[in-house]
Formats: sequence, C-alpha cells, structure tokens
Amino acid sequence: MAALRSTSSRILGSSLRTAMRPGAVFTRSMASVSEAPQEKAPNMKTFQIYRWNPDTPTEKPRMQSYTIDLNKTGPMILDALVRIKNELDPTLTFRRSCREGICGSCAMNINGQNTLACLCRIPSENASDVKLYPLPHTYVVKDLVPDLTYFYKQYKSIKPYLQRDTPAPDGKEYRQTKEDRKKLDGLYECILCACCSTSCPSYWWNSEEYLGPAILLQSYRWLADSRDERGAERRANLENNMSLYRCHTILNCTRACPKGLNPGKAIAEIKKQMAFA
Amino acid sequence: MIAQRVGVTALRRGPAGLFAQLPRAAALQTRPVTTSKISQEDGHQILVNQRLQRPVSPNLGIYKIEQTWLGHSAWTRITGCTLSGAAYLYFTAYLGAPLLGWHLETASLVSSFAALPFAVKGGIKFMLGFPFAYHFINGLRHLWFDLGKGFAKPSIKKGEMALWTSSILGGLFLAFGL
Amino acid sequence: MASIVRPSLLRQSALAARSGVAARSAIAMRAAAFHSSSKKSAILPPGPQRIEGGVNDPAPIPTPSAAHGSYHWTFERLLAAGLVPLTIAPFASGSLNPTMDAILCSAVLIHSHIGFQSVIIDYIPKKRYPGLRKLFWWGLNAATITVGIGLYEFETNDVGVTEAIKRVWKA
Repeated sequence: MAALRSTSSRILGSSLRTAMRPGAVFTRSMASVSEAPQEKAPNMKTFQIYRWNPDTPTEKPRMQSYTIDLNKTGPMILDALVRIKNELDPTLTFRRSCREGICGSCAMNINGQNTLACLCRIPSENASDVKLYPLPHTYVVKDLVPDLTYFYKQYKSIKPYLQRDTPAPDGKEYRQTKEDRKKLDGLYECILCACCSTSCPSYWWNSEEYLGPAILLQSYRWLADSRDERGAERRANLENNMSLYRCHTILNCTRACPKGLNPGKAIAEIKKQMAFA
Repeated sequence: MIAQRVGVTALRRGPAGLFAQLPRAAALQTRPVTTSKISQEDGHQILVNQRLQRPVSPNLGIYKIEQTWLGHSAWTRITGCTLSGAAYLYFTAYLGAPLLGWHLETASLVSSFAALPFAVKGGIKFMLGFPFAYHFINGLRHLWFDLGKGFAKPSIKKGEMALWTSSILGGLFLAFGL
Repeated sequence: MASIVRPSLLRQSALAARSGVAARSAIAMRAAAFHSSSKKSAILPPGPQRIEGGVNDPAPIPTPSAAHGSYHWTFERLLAAGLVPLTIAPFASGSLNPTMDAILCSAVLIHSHIGFQSVIIDYIPKKRYPGLRKLFWWGLNAATITVGIGLYEFETNDVGVTEAIKRVWKA
C-alpha cells in the first residue's frame, strides 16, 4: 500500500512541477501524467553472505554473492537482507524481528564489525562489496544464525534478578533514590544481542569459562543496584581466574555495542568493586 | 486489507497475474511433506548430533584488523612477550654459558656490540626500545583504565593514536637519540 | 497488520509471484569457495559443540578463590604500578645501587611470570587441552626458576642489570 501511495504522489508532484513552468505547460504536462517518473540509474551493490546448510553438513561454509539495486531497497542492511530473501534466494536464513534495534535478533558481523543489521546503514560512499558473517567464533546453526544457547546459560548463571532477604520497609515496594536509580543508566538498556561478547578475542578463546562483556555488564547491573542484597555472593561467584579476569581491557566490546553502552567500563567497575569492597 | 494485498501482488505481476494466479495457488496447497512424531529425548538427540556438525564462524580472519591484529591489548602482550622472552633467553643462556664455552658477560657483550655497524646497532636497539616504549606507555594507559577512567569512545580512539605515535617516537629516541 | 491472519493460500501465491520476479530479473547470484574460516582457526580449534545440561540449566560457577581472583588482580596492578618508578629511577639517577637493582630484577621477573601465565591460561584452555596446559605451566615454572638463578649469577658475578644495559646501549 505504502509503495503505491508514494508513487502516485510522486507522479502528481512531477506533473504539478512541470505545469508550473511556463512554456512547458502545453507540450509536456499531459505526457508526464501518463508516463512513469524518470527512473534513476540503477545503483547496484553486491552483498557477500556467509552460507552453511545443516542439511549438507559435510559441505564447507562458503560465501555467496547477491547483487541488488539500492534504489529499490531500504537504507539498512536488514532491508537488503529481507529483499535478497524475498526476491533472490528464499533459502537465505537470518534472525530478525523488530527492525528498530530493540530486540537484538539481527546481530551479525557486517564488514568486520559486529552490529545490528537493522541499525547499520548500507555503505553507499564506496563501490566495495558488503560482507556479512554470523557473529564471530560462534557455532553456526545455519547461514547467519549463531547458536547462543551457552550465552543464555551463562546469563542465567549470574542470577539476573533482584535478590533480597529483607522485606520492603513500607511493605509495598522497594524504593530507590534518584541517585541510586541513575547508577543503572547505561546498564539496563542492554538487549543481550551478543555483539560485544562475540567481538571479544578473550571470549573467542575461552567462551566456556569466561562470561564475556555482555554477561558481565548484566552482572554489574545487579551489583550496582541499591535494592539488591546479595552483592557479596555475586562477587564471590566471580572470584576465580576465568569468569571475570579473562578481561584484558581490549575494549572491542565498547566499540561494538550497537546501543552505545560501555561494557568495558562496567567490567572495570566490577574489578574495582572486587578489589576494594 | 487482505483484498488489497492480493491486488498489490497481482499488480506487480502484470495484468495477467490476477487471474492466472488463482488455480495455481490452489494446486500448491497440498504440500509434499510428511511428518512423524518422535519423543522428546529423540528430538534432543537430533539436536545434539546436529551440534557436533556445526562449523565455527570465522573470527580473526574477518574481524576489523585494527581491533584484532593491531589492537592495543594484543600489542601490549606481543611487546611484553618480546622483552620478557629476550630476557628469559639471555639469562638462561648466561647460566649455561660456562658449560657451553660461550662468552655472554657484559664486557664481551659490549665489545662485540660496539663492533657492529651503526645501522645494525640502531636496529637492534629499536627492536628492544620500541617494545619497551609501547609496553610502558600502554601499561600506564591500562592502569588508568583499571581506575575506571578513559572509557569514552572518542578518548579510546585518541588514546590509541597517541599510543602508537608516542611509542614509535619513543622507540626511535631510545635507539638513536641516546 | 493482516500478515498474521493471512491464509496460507495467499502466502503461496505471493511466493509464486516472487519466484517469477527472480527468474525474470537479470540479477546475478554467485557462490565462491570460502577460505578464511577453516584455515585460520586451525590453531587450537575449539572442537565440536557440546553443551552440558539442558537449555534452562545455568552454566556452572567455579569454586571461589580470591588468590586467583581479586587478590591476584590487585597484586598484579600494584606490581605494575611499582615498576613504573623502578624502571625509570636507576637510569634517570645514574647511580649504581645493588639493592635497587635486585628489587627491579625480581619485580620484572614476577611481572613476566604472571604475564606468561595469563598467555598460557588464554590460549591453552584447561578443559580442552589438559595435558598441553600442564606441560606449558610447569615448563614456565622451570624457566622462571632458571632465569631467577641466572639473574642471581649475573647480579653477583657481573656488573648488574641496569649497568649492563647502560653499557651495551652506549657501546
């Protein structure tokens, strides 16, 4: 519907514009109404996409190229992916849901940088191909879909919920000062897309034991919460050389976060708390 | 809405589309797929077997090179291992020198080093001076990070640039300036 | 809006329409052999995926040990911070002080040992390569002790590390 509406308005608009111009009124105004609007020169872009099919597991992963016209495609990488799946190859597999950067489904590696496909513009300034890979050093379910089972299991291991032993003083709700609430800004916005964790070389080599930036940011979210009463227990769970201390402040996490959060700083804050609390 | 969508699809296909489509769609409705019921354990076993087949997605080969091979943390490690590795090698060799008949005391080391041409001397000094400068400067930077400071994205970028220039200049100074 | 309730008949017809478009368009679709994944990760490959426990079980939490956790971290940072003045002072002041030299050497030795340890922990996971890990771990311990003895010999029989570096550098 939207497409129809916009083309018709464009036709109307162009006919109006020609009609305004004196001299051209009689010769061109009629023709421009019936003619389609001037087609822009096609702006072709090639996308190289990582492919692997679990139905033929012995076949090695490969890169497949798709060329589409950017003039007919939306501005984001996700638009291009949806278009490729719709028109060129329905077997292409990727996760997507909200298309506005709040669900974290379409996290992938775009031109060597982890980000959300729905928040990443198609680079139009150069003619080079766009390369799309699944999140780095993950087990691939199919094409651009990584298996995040262990990532979620690690999330569960930090007990991501409020733990209290004392009831609320007024018996109604756990209150918090504005200052204490402010400490959670930049932490609670995390959507667990795993862009940061899978950008971290330390997490690549030790994802079984190291928790990774995303989970540690969440861990700090509960350590920083004034209403939580199990801080000591939470810190004790990080007291080993793997869970927290495989972080070497590489800072790829901070550079990767599509929501503009700072997992690197959160981890530094945990380390400080661990040393001084 | 549904009627409109049919209209849109038909329009995309051209004038013949609207009518030609209906019988074809009806024929497509029977799917040549058969399903069978399996128990939860068997289903889980299929998943376990599929997991064993899965490839690992590319990582070092495809990630942005300035964040992997040229990353500040990686180079702190490389430079540290270069310096410590050299020291480990030298002192192990020094301990074994009398047994092997080598001469690694300071006096003979100084005289043999002095005999080298200027460029080689400078090259060797730079090979040690640059790692030292880099490890030293980035070590300070990491201590600053450990205080929870300097994590804003622009300051990370600026720090990275400053680190490379200052450590290369520092290495050159240590190699040729002293 | 209506996409949720759209019956399968319509979805199928839409698919048929799309495949028609794809066939007619002269858009190229190429497939190339993939190089960078299998070759580059050949060093210490992670092995096939195995997940213990169900999807809803949390990942296991290791037994806490501050000696490997926060104490270790704090010690490492204090040592690194201490090394900053220790490395500059002897070269800046130009004085030959055997005590300072000994402190610097032992601090650098421990700093190096911890650094090498973390390299081994990072690249040789205990779970995947227990034998190789043990070999490297004890190899490093042996190397550090050897170097420690070498340093002691050098300090007692030679001119001392700072003086030696100075002389070689000025040669």
